[in-house]
Amino acid sequence: MFLIMRYFAKLLKALASEASPGQIAGGIILGMIIGLTPFFSLHNLLIVVLILALKVNIGMALFSFALFSGVAYLADPLFHSFGIWLLELESMQQIWTNMYNNEWWALTKFYNTVVIGSFVTAAILCIPAFPLLKYGVVQYRKHIHAKVQKWKVVQAFKSTKFYTIYQTVSRVRR
Amino acid sequence: MRIGGIVTVLVLAGIVFTAAFFITDEWVESNIEYQASLLNEAKVELDGFESSLFNLQIKWDRLQVANRNSTMENTFETGETEFSMQFWPLILGNKVIVEEVRLTGFELGTERETDGYFEMPEVEEGEEPGFLYSVVKQVSGEAQKNAEVRFTDIRDDLNVDSLMAKVNIQSVDKIDSLRNGIQQNYSKWDSTFNNTPIEEEIAEAQNSIESIKVDEIKDPKKAIEAIENIRKLRAQVDSMKTKADSLRDDFEQDYGASRYSLDQVDNWIENDYQRALNVAQIPDLDVQNIGKALFGQNLLGDYAVYLEYVAIAREYGSRLVGDEEEEIIPRYEGLDYEFSDKYDWPGFWFKNIELSGRTKSDLGISGVVTNISSSQVKTGEPVLFEVVGENENQVSLSLNGEFNYLEEAPRESFNFNYAGFTLSEARLSGSDLLPYKLESGKGELNLNLDIVDRRIESRIDYLATEINFDFEAAGDPKNRIESLIRDAIGGTDNIDVTALVDNIEGPLRVRVRSNVDDLFMDALRQTVSQEVENAKRKIEAEVQSRVDGKKEQLAEFKQEKEAEIQARYDELQSKVDEQLKRIEEKRKELEEKKKELEEELKNKVRDRIGIDFKE
Repeated sequence: MFLIMRYFAKLLKALASEASPGQIAGGIILGMIIGLTPFFSLHNLLIVVLILALKVNIGMALFSFALFSGVAYLADPLFHSFGIWLLELESMQQIWTNMYNNEWWALTKFYNTVVIGSFVTAAILCIPAFPLLKYGVVQYRKHIHAKVQKWKVVQAFKSTKFYTIYQTVSRVRR
Repeated sequence: MRIGGIVTVLVLAGIVFTAAFFITDEWVESNIEYQASLLNEAKVELDGFESSLFNLQIKWDRLQVANRNSTMENTFETGETEFSMQFWPLILGNKVIVEEVRLTGFELGTERETDGYFEMPEVEEGEEPGFLYSVVKQVSGEAQKNAEVRFTDIRDDLNVDSLMAKVNIQSVDKIDSLRNGIQQNYSKWDSTFNNTPIEEEIAEAQNSIESIKVDEIKDPKKAIEAIENIRKLRAQVDSMKTKADSLRDDFEQDYGASRYSLDQVDNWIENDYQRALNVAQIPDLDVQNIGKALFGQNLLGDYAVYLEYVAIAREYGSRLVGDEEEEIIPRYEGLDYEFSDKYDWPGFWFKNIELSGRTKSDLGISGVVTNISSSQVKTGEPVLFEVVGENENQVSLSLNGEFNYLEEAPRESFNFNYAGFTLSEARLSGSDLLPYKLESGKGELNLNLDIVDRRIESRIDYLATEINFDFEAAGDPKNRIESLIRDAIGGTDNIDVTALVDNIEGPLRVRVRSNVDDLFMDALRQTVSQEVENAKRKIEAEVQSRVDGKKEQLAEFKQEKEAEIQARYDELQSKVDEQLKRIEEKRKELEEKKKELEEELKNKVRDRIGIDFKE
């Protein structure tokens, strides 16, 4: 329980000040891609490398991954149907065949209905989501953060011993 | 860029690589051993296993494949073996595709230091043994039977009582059991006739017919209605007739079924007789059987061993084909689209195996086995093998053939030739008629086998040349038959035996003929044939006395029960026919009545309005 609350506090803190809106939005976007698509896919290895290498917010990426994994569980049948539609698109047949016949592309498993369906969905979602998330973070900081700080649950958490220790440790680490 | 992140990625990659480097060999080895043992149903062990991640190479110093029927023995083992797997099939599909395997130290039927028993996780129950295993069993049984035939100690003072105690005559019990079956069947049909609703339906129909009083009908309309009712009744009674006929057909079919047939009684008696002959070890003195009795044990015993290898190949072949066909798509894992057949690899495929080793008789062999795969349909190639061997003494061996599972009907064919081996100190036959070792001689064995699905055709030729029997070592002849046989075969310097095993014309036939059959038959005819006939007669008489009258009693019983049921049916049938007759009579009456009433009506109309409708 404490770990969850600590993680939650860290997220709120990240939203408030530590990271730039771009880093937070980037973390969410990359976490979303991993969450929506089957975990053991080649493209996810690249995404994990990007999360570790780029200065995106890792906490947000993890949060986003957890959140969108749940979404994916419900949406997989839709991804499957979307994947079938994509893989059967007449105009794409040559491209799919070329990709399929290239071993490196075949490694991505884009010939699988759920992989291609969820990946394309995630990619499409990234386009509007990134600017929207950036804007959202700015707006949060400007209008909502102060109100959240006044929530009784947040106040209660801040008054716990664990939070004090966590704050101290965080300061020392910085 | 986050430098720490990049370092983390590199460190993680390093850890994974290092772990894989140290752990892979053991992990891969235990996995291969486990999966192969599952397939083999006995231990498969690798010694000195090494694998390399860089070039996907696998190497072992020794492979032992335990024989599941005799776990202290290996079906085969190999020495140092090395091969490289193709990269993409392994990465993309977890498939093992190997172009070249160099397999040395190949040996069949070696002894094991430890028990090769492997505990299977689950046992498939109720699975029928394969067709070829049933053939192996039949041929082994035939070899065993031939081994038990004794010619030289036949006596006509046979103690029939003690023999019968050993034989356990089964006909009597089987006849009693058949009688009970017939009784139960009779009770079933008796109850069926008692419970059939046809009798009640007949009574109802009879009431309905009687309720139609033709004399009381005064109106043509009522007559038409009554005719309509009688038509309906007719349909009902017709349906009863159909039911009764169907009942009779079912009864006749059931009573006439083979399980109640009396013909089987003769077979039971014949089986008891044959069993008694076997227990008494009375041979069948027929020229058709002598070859089998003389050479059947050795020749068919060897044949059964070779056939078992083929049975194993077919079993594995079909098992692997079955595995490939199973495709389970777990929920949310989606469907894989195949845009070409580029990755349509089998689970494993060893394209070319070059093997070398030694036989049990220490003959150096080498050869090639091609296209061992988990799915011949995917590779489009059958397993082909060609192994040859020769030593300095001109002993040669060749084995070539094909295991073809490309089509629905599995097909195995091979030719095995082993020639030039010495027969010095060897015994050509396990029979007591030919107990002599050879002083010298050369042997040649040739086996041709062709199996397509359940059709088997095979021929074994065994040729012993330049032979010399060592009669001296056996001492003086113990009886006249030995003496006659020595005289007969003493002048023979070659023995040519041919065994044919096939099921081309139905059940499996095993025939063994040799060039010395007639010599032996002559010797037997001059000596033991009278004793054999006497013993046979005694046994036959005893078996007959045990079942005497039983078959006739059973036939009488069956006939009696059948007649009782038949009488019940005939009674039912006559009742139905009677109703049909009544209906017909009633209909005629009604038709006449209708005509009469219509006439009356027409007359009345004519009288009143002066129009004659008849004109």
